[in-house]
Amino acid sequence: MPKRKFDPLPSAAFQILLSLADEDLHGYGIMRQVEQQTNGRMRLGPGTLYSSIQGLLEEGLIEEVDRKTETDAERRRYYRLSSSGRKLARTEAERLADLLRVARAKKILRGGYV
Amino acid sequence: MSERVFALFVRLYPAAFRRKYQQEALQLYRDRLRDERGIARRVRLYRDLVLDVVRGAPQAWRNSYSEKSAATVAGDLTGLPGFHLLDREPLGARSVVAGCLFSVSALVGFGLVMRLPAPVCAARASGTMSPIEAVVERLNRAVSAPKSDVPSAERTAVDGEKTQAQAPANAADHAERIPERLLSATEKNQVIQGVAENLTAHYFDRQKAEAAVSRLRELEKQGAYAGIADGRMLAEQLSADVRSVTGDPHLNVAYSRNPIPNAAPGRPAPSALIQYRTVMLEQNCSLEKVEILPRNIGYLKFNSFPDAGVCGANLRKALAQIDGASAVIFDLRDNTGGFPETVEEVAAPLFDRAVQWYNPRANPSSTMLSAVSGSKLANKPVYILTSSRTLSGAEQFTYNLKMLKRATVIGETTGGGGHVGAFHRVDEHFGIGVPETKITNPYGGPDWDVVGIEPDVKVKAADALDAAEKIAGSGTGRK
Repeated sequence: MPKRKFDPLPSAAFQILLSLADEDLHGYGIMRQVEQQTNGRMRLGPGTLYSSIQGLLEEGLIEEVDRKTETDAERRRYYRLSSSGRKLARTEAERLADLLRVARAKKILRGGYV
Repeated sequence: MSERVFALFVRLYPAAFRRKYQQEALQLYRDRLRDERGIARRVRLYRDLVLDVVRGAPQAWRNSYSEKSAATVAGDLTGLPGFHLLDREPLGARSVVAGCLFSVSALVGFGLVMRLPAPVCAARASGTMSPIEAVVERLNRAVSAPKSDVPSAERTAVDGEKTQAQAPANAADHAERIPERLLSATEKNQVIQGVAENLTAHYFDRQKAEAAVSRLRELEKQGAYAGIADGRMLAEQLSADVRSVTGDPHLNVAYSRNPIPNAAPGRPAPSALIQYRTVMLEQNCSLEKVEILPRNIGYLKFNSFPDAGVCGANLRKALAQIDGASAVIFDLRDNTGGFPETVEEVAAPLFDRAVQWYNPRANPSSTMLSAVSGSKLANKPVYILTSSRTLSGAEQFTYNLKMLKRATVIGETTGGGGHVGAFHRVDEHFGIGVPETKITNPYGGPDWDVVGIEPDVKVKAADALDAAEKIAGSGTGRK
C-alpha cells in the first residue's frame, strides 16, 4: 500500500485544491490563481505544480477534464476538484481555522479580521 | 534562459513525469515568459524556476505515475495468468541495495557451481576411472536416457563383438546418487574367481594368464584383499596385480556402481539395437554440421562413427555433399568413436589406392583398406580437427590418416582412449577387459593408447577450425 502523500497536506497542494474550488483550470491557470489567492507569495513553478497535480490525481483529489480552450489552439489539460478533494480542502481549512482560534485565544493574532 | 536550458532542467524529473507533463511545463514556461516582462520580473521568473527544480523534482520522484488501466487486474481477456503492475513506484534505495546484493550472490553461486567439475570428468582427471568403467557408466546412462549421450550407446566403444548396450531399468539412477556398497568376503572371492576364469579363457598369452591367476590366488590367500571393501579399490588393486605379472597395461578390471548390462555374449540385445537406431536417427546419426565454408572448403562435423547399418546412407550423403570442395575438414573435436567398420567406410573414399589400415581391436591388427573407385575425395587435402575429447574410433581414424600422411591434424592432443580389448562381465558390478590378440602396430612404437595423438598443428580446440581454414585456404595441406 502506498503511504498517503497528503497527510499532512502540503501548502502547495492545499492552494491547488483551493484554486480549483470555483472553476476548472489548466496548469498555468492554477499557477496564476494560486499567485492571486496568496497575494503573490506563492508562485508555483512547473515542477512543483505538475508534481503536485500528479500526486493529487493519484490520490483522486482532483481529476482531469479534457477540453479545448476557446483561445488556444493547443490542447491543454484542465483539472477539476473531486468530491474527496473538496472534502479534504474543507477539512484542512477547518484545521487551519481551529489553529487560528487557538492563535487568537493565545493572543498571538490581534484584531478580528481573519 | 532559453527553452533548451529549461528542457535540461526538466530532464531532472522522472521519465514518466516528462512523458505526461513536459509539454505542459514548457507551455507554462512560455506563458510566464509572455506575461512576465521587464528585468525584475524575468529575474524573479528564473529564480522561481531554479528553486522549483530543487523543490519539485524530489516531489516528482515520490509520485507513482501508475497507469489507471494497469490496475484492472481482472480484465485479462486471454484467461491466462499473468503479472500486472498495480503501482509503479520509484525504486527505493533499500530495494536497489537488496537487488545488488542478490545479483552478486547469484553470480557468485553460479560461478561456484560452474567451477565444480562434472563427475565423469573429475574421475578422468584424477585417473580413477578406467576406460572400461567410463564406457560402462556411459552405456548405462545412454540406455537409460537415450537422448543424453549418443556415441556411448555403441557397443564398439569397448569392443565390436562382446559388449551389449542393454541395461536394467534401474540404471536410470545416476551413478552419483547410488551409495557406495560394501563388498562381502564371498563376493570378493567370486570376483577374483571370475577375473581368474576370464584371464585363463581369453588372454592371448596363456602362460602369462596362468601366472597372473596363480598370483591372484596367492595374494588372496595372504589376505591382500581382506581389507578392501570398496568395489573401485578392489578393481584397481586387481588390475595392478594382474598387470604386474603380465606387464600388459591393457588388462583392466573395472568396477561400476551401476549394474553392468547382462546379455548373451556375441549378440546385442534386440531392444538395445532398436533403441540405438531410434536415438541415432533422432540425432541425425550424430552428424552435427555439413557445409561448404568460404574458399570452397568442405566441412563435416560428426560426433561418432555410428553403425553403418543404421547410418551408412546418412554418412554417404554427407560425404557426397562435400566431395566437390577443394579441401575437406573433418571436425572430430567432439567425436568419441564408434564402429571400426564405419571408421573404415569414412576413410576409404579418401584414398585412390589400397592402404594398410591399423585396427588394434581386430585380429590381425592390420588389414588392407581398399580404395573407392572414382571417389572425388581421393586427392583432396584433408584436415582433422581434434580435442582432448576426441576418443577411440575417432582416434583410430586420425591416427591412421596421420601415419599414412593423408591428413593434417589440427587441434589438441587426443584423449588417448585405450584399446580395452574384449569386455567380459564378471558379475553385476565387475568386469574385465582382456586383449585377446597381441597388438602389433605396423607403424612401430606405441600408438594413441593412453598417450593420445599429437596434432601436426597444435592449437586450442576452440581455435582449431580457424587454424584449419587458414591452412586449407593457403593450400599447404596433405593430399
